[in-house]
Amino acid sequence: MTTLTDRYVWAAARTLPETQRAEFDRELRERIGDVIDARVERGAAPADAEHAALVELGDPLRLAASYVDRPLQLIGPKYFLTWWHLLKLLLIIVVPIAAAGVLLGQVIAGADVGQMIGTTIGTTISVGVHLCFWVTLVFAVLERSPGTVPLTTWTPEQLPQPRDDARAGRLGDLVASVVFLVLFAVAIVWQQSGAVWIDGERQPIPVLDPALWSFWIPWFLGLIALEVVFAIVIYLRGWTWVLAGINVLLTIAFTVPALWLFLSGQLLDPAFIEAIGWPWGEASGATIAVIVVVVIGVTVWDIIDGFIKAARNRGGSALGGY
Amino acid sequence: MSTDETTTGHIQELRRGTVVLACLIRLRTPDYGYALLESLNGLGILVDANTLYPLLRRLEKQGLLTSEWNTEEARPRKFYRTSPTGEQLAAALTTDWRRIDDALARLETDSDTGDAR
Repeated sequence: MTTLTDRYVWAAARTLPETQRAEFDRELRERIGDVIDARVERGAAPADAEHAALVELGDPLRLAASYVDRPLQLIGPKYFLTWWHLLKLLLIIVVPIAAAGVLLGQVIAGADVGQMIGTTIGTTISVGVHLCFWVTLVFAVLERSPGTVPLTTWTPEQLPQPRDDARAGRLGDLVASVVFLVLFAVAIVWQQSGAVWIDGERQPIPVLDPALWSFWIPWFLGLIALEVVFAIVIYLRGWTWVLAGINVLLTIAFTVPALWLFLSGQLLDPAFIEAIGWPWGEASGATIAVIVVVVIGVTVWDIIDGFIKAARNRGGSALGGY
Repeated sequence: MSTDETTTGHIQELRRGTVVLACLIRLRTPDYGYALLESLNGLGILVDANTLYPLLRRLEKQGLLTSEWNTEEARPRKFYRTSPTGEQLAAALTTDWRRIDDALARLETDSDTGDAR
């Protein structure tokens, strides 16, 4: 008959390497037997004593792991930091490249905007999950392999430059700028195939005058691309007087033609103006004035903001000395 | 974490190394797991069975203990004995233990006189 002890010993021993099993089996039986004997001596019934002894020993898998020093964690302290650094590095590099690649592929294939966004988000998430899984799997295997894999030893030269703190502070600006610019560019392309719904049906009426595609829309899209590059440069180097000057040029190159096209009636598609009931009767003059003032205000502020940040940056570096 | 848990955790940490030393000294006379457990606990060196048995295995693997199966009785038992390397380690650990004890004692005296000042 199979006793509880037999079952316990079998459950614990089967997780061990074949070579260690016989010895472990004997040792464990000795230990359980001694505990049972002690309990029986103190007046317990043999069956109860056996049960209580096994409860004391606890989960057989945990017990076996403690006998052979097997780790009970996926990745222990030895590899944790290496795993974490590598994972972060790979996520930062691979995921954006994969996202950009998928997006580019979709654009070339001529997918519609919904499908473009959906596929890109889906693929990006799945790339991230795959990356996390495989990297973690490799380290979990390492953790369980005998022998030491040479770990990179830390040296003071690896210390980050304190400037990187400021860079981390600019990361929010970078993400906000790039997201806004990309959405803006997508919106410009998207509106071409119709931005007006009548009774839930998309009408083929664009917002911007299709004639602008001959020059001005590519001009604006090109500026948006330059703005993305500019945002990355700002992230990497911080604001300087030169960059604040370039910001003035970029902003003027965008705003002045846009306002001129708007005021001379070339910006918006006549069919769109008709569809939304522009110019809202008598208030039209005031509406146009408000739009112009707001656009100029935002532009001027953007220019001033660049110079303020450049001045602040300079003061900081003079004070801090690093 | 409650104060009790904190205390228990620190006490366990303090005792961890002393169990090794106690085993090395006690096993100059060969003995088996359960008898060793009983005798250590009887002496007031409190150790859990789930700590002691794996520890014996590890010390044997490190060459600090040797073992031999005794099959004369009804139940075969593994008898451990401190090896010469184990003796050396026991001497080193004892010296260190004494040094720490002295240092703590001096620290106590110093802080006592410091309070009086």
